Amino acid sequence: MGDLIRIRDLTVRFYTYEGVVHAINDLDLDIRQGETLGIVGETGSGKSMTALAILRLIPYPGKIESGSIVFRDRDSGGETELLKLREDRMRAIRGNKISMVFQEPGAALNPVYTIGDQISEVFLLHRRRELGRQAKRRVDSLLSGGNGLAAGVKRPFWQWQSRLYNKIAEEPHAVEPRLLNRMPLFKRLLWRLQDEANLLTVKMLKDVEIPDAARVAAHYPHELSGGMKQRAVIAMALACSPELLIADEPTTSLDVTIQAQMLELFRRIKADRGASVLFITHNLGVAAEVCDRLAVMYAGRLCEVATLEDIFLHPLHPYTRALLNAVPIPGKELQTIPGALADALNPPPGCRFHPRCPSAMPMCQQERPKLKLVAKDHMVACYLF
Amino acid sequence: MELRSYIIRRLLLLIPVLFGVTLFIFGITMMFSPIERVSLYVTSARQMSDIPALIETYGLDRPFFVQYGNWIGQVFSGNLGWSRVVGMPVWDAIWTFLPATLELAIFACPLIILLGIFLGTTAAAHKDRPLDHGTRVMAIVGWSLPTFWLGLVLIMIFYGYFRGVLPPSRLSIQMDMVVNSADFVRYTHINTIDAILNLNGPVLLDALRHLVLPVITLSVVNVAFIMRLMRSSMLEALGKGYILTARAKGLAERMVINKHARRNALIPVITVSGYVFAGLANGVVITETIFTYKGIGWWAWQSAVRLDIASVLGFALFNAVLFVLVNLVVDILYTRVDPRVRLGGAVQ
Amino acid sequence: MTDWKFTARQLVRNPLSLMGILIIVVFTIIAIFAPLIAPLPEGHRDAYMIPRDGYSAIPTPPSEEHVFGTTEGQYDIFYGVVWGTRSAFRVALVVIGITILVGIALGSLAGYFGGLLDDVIMRITDIFLAFPALILAMAIVAAIGPSLRSVMIALTAIWWPSYARLIRGDILQVREEDYIEASRGLGASSARVIIRHALPNAIYPTLIMASLDIGAVVLSAAALSFLGLGAPEGYADWGQLTSFARNWIVGPVSDPLKYWYAVTIPGLFILFFVLGWNLLGDAFRDIFDPRLARR
Repeated sequence: MGDLIRIRDLTVRFYTYEGVVHAINDLDLDIRQGETLGIVGETGSGKSMTALAILRLIPYPGKIESGSIVFRDRDSGGETELLKLREDRMRAIRGNKISMVFQEPGAALNPVYTIGDQISEVFLLHRRRELGRQAKRRVDSLLSGGNGLAAGVKRPFWQWQSRLYNKIAEEPHAVEPRLLNRMPLFKRLLWRLQDEANLLTVKMLKDVEIPDAARVAAHYPHELSGGMKQRAVIAMALACSPELLIADEPTTSLDVTIQAQMLELFRRIKADRGASVLFITHNLGVAAEVCDRLAVMYAGRLCEVATLEDIFLHPLHPYTRALLNAVPIPGKELQTIPGALADALNPPPGCRFHPRCPSAMPMCQQERPKLKLVAKDHMVACYLF
Repeated sequence: MELRSYIIRRLLLLIPVLFGVTLFIFGITMMFSPIERVSLYVTSARQMSDIPALIETYGLDRPFFVQYGNWIGQVFSGNLGWSRVVGMPVWDAIWTFLPATLELAIFACPLIILLGIFLGTTAAAHKDRPLDHGTRVMAIVGWSLPTFWLGLVLIMIFYGYFRGVLPPSRLSIQMDMVVNSADFVRYTHINTIDAILNLNGPVLLDALRHLVLPVITLSVVNVAFIMRLMRSSMLEALGKGYILTARAKGLAERMVINKHARRNALIPVITVSGYVFAGLANGVVITETIFTYKGIGWWAWQSAVRLDIASVLGFALFNAVLFVLVNLVVDILYTRVDPRVRLGGAVQ
Repeated sequence: MTDWKFTARQLVRNPLSLMGILIIVVFTIIAIFAPLIAPLPEGHRDAYMIPRDGYSAIPTPPSEEHVFGTTEGQYDIFYGVVWGTRSAFRVALVVIGITILVGIALGSLAGYFGGLLDDVIMRITDIFLAFPALILAMAIVAAIGPSLRSVMIALTAIWWPSYARLIRGDILQVREEDYIEASRGLGASSARVIIRHALPNAIYPTLIMASLDIGAVVLSAAALSFLGLGAPEGYADWGQLTSFARNWIVGPVSDPLKYWYAVTIPGLFILFFVLGWNLLGDAFRDIFDPRLARR
């Protein structure tokens, strides 16, 4: 199992009215094939930004200043530098090879389109070839099976349809079908593609355990509960069997009971599909349920990266330890981390955590510590090690 | 709520609105003397000759509500009074002058809506870039233009300086004769449509030529308004979560804007379009007056200036009904576009 | 509450709003110094009646004596537009001022007390809004008798419903907020709660609308005067001045643009005045709009 994603020296800055915000600084991170990597950290630690950076969706006024993100495609085996990719190639990857699930399912879905429409959109975008082939097959069966006057009249039309879908199957983005798609009334002629996409959509919804999938697909987002919406969003993300699924706080806005179901779903996805998952959360308990490895971030920098066991049983970085201590345990006094979150505009020099660190040393203020491998599969960025 | 029952309910609401409007206007007309108010009740010029008798008959010196009741009764029997300025019953006047205004509206409305939406979307898509600034300036200037002045200047340039390229009024004198001749069949009294139905090219061209300036004058202010609204509503839509999702799915920016953002952005615009229509009614008065374009607006102005109360009241009534109907259509359209809203206005 | 410093900075940084402010300042200066810029001729009693230099109907072009020329009836255009600035300000400020007061009063009552009072007031506003404003204004002015005062009355009567609606909407929003509950829990009376808490928050959208409306009011007043329903003939009013030009839009065949000054100049004054306020109001809207985040 190799690396799926290799992030090196990633730096993202935001140029706001009040000043420059250093969202991510010199980040090095690997996501391995088939693993669920969790990124934990407080709000503002840069974890969501890391996800957006992989997909190159950093919003204005943010900018990816430097670094490299290499994606190794499992199917083709090739390596691509995502940050230098042409925009249209990047679009072919988004939603297809790498997809993302966001925190608020209600906000993530467009209120004026049905669930089915929004999911089938992904198929129509990335699986056109397959849809074309299927559509052609259906038309061909009509052509071979049909007899009688009605069939005879429609025959030339069907033959043209067959050729049309064949074209799409071979060249998904050929000129003629695309033109057809642009014109309001003629768009209708491509309805078989939509049909096939709908079939795949319903199958997908069933996969994420949505009951009565066909009916749900015809519903609008506001007609579904939070849990269902989130499942639908996950269905949308998994539609094209991506190699990497990025989930940004997918359970945060849900009830605890629904949360449990959702985590179960994630575990199943992991088992069934072998995709890698980048799971972003601020909740250590949730992370413990699904992740293989954990990365801890603070103020735009990585503090510690290790297996789940190692993080929970042998935490090394003072911040990690403080986080674990801060988990409320009934009966025990609540431990908090003293001090306030590092100011994004004027971060403290050297190690970002040093103002709040119980074991701070003079050298912590000077230069920031680099990530070092201190044990098997266990890296820390701290001068204590 | 069922569509039919909803429509019936809304039409029933017409009644209190009409009640209020007419009460208000009637109240204003009561500031005039009985002699002037006689025209509200008569249906032919001849009747106007014996005024004291008329005052007696119609009780024009009786208390307010008696008169109001009287007048309402008149209206229900189809008598809206006599229009002094054009010498025909008010009811006839409305139907005589309506086609001209409809013709303006037929050309102006699509222009306003399509152009406004297009410019607004463009401005939002290129936010803070030259195209955005350019269209915004255009919109603000367009909005600040006094409509009547714009009309005058356009006439000055295109009729005066360019020697009658785009003239005022509805038709040139020759074409007017053609249109009123026996060979030309009047289906709708709308020049352009009739010209097409009569397969008469020259009349069509002439009518179009006369329409250019009034339509532009009428549209400018409204395009600016819609553009502004569309822009801010697009910007709001583009800030929403589903846009990020759409991009994360790999959609091209054009699709994101046109398919996902625009549909949502149109919702507030549709809500407002009822009011824009009312604004059109305003603009029509000025535009028709300046271009001597004899439509309803022109008639309304003549009536107001010459204190022809029957006409003013009749026009008010007509307008109120139109406004309520337009709002009804807009509300129904609204439910079609936004699936969250059910008929009856309840948002889920 | 946004920082005034931030607001001011935003206003100045934006070239459009800066232009708007400059335009308004220029017009204010013209209005204040009108007697100096266009002094009353000898023996002239009413400053707002434009002096006439003869009785010929034909406009005369700009010259040394008449900087902007004269319009039909030999009214001096320069004098007219300068003193017209004063008229414009007067109409705008009076109408908007009264409108806001009436709107706030009725809107607050409707919003705060709800129930029957709210319904009644809202129905009344509905009726007013069901009307094309110009027609209503025309009807009112025709009934009272054309003059600038009737224009102001008519416009006020038409304009207050939108403010009442706005205030009511804001108060409805604010009414639900927790701090209102808290105030009343502490024993504050309804009026006090409205005035001290609900209103200040409702003020910003009102200000935006008001600054945009100043332009709209002046446009409507000008339209009414143009149509002959406003200021009397010869009064220093931009709309009135423009109406003189109606017969002189197109000159003789040899020189169709001969009387351009009669049409163009008063119109340009209206345009720029309204433009200034619109630019300002537009900038305000951008700044105070909570949905457009600060960058």
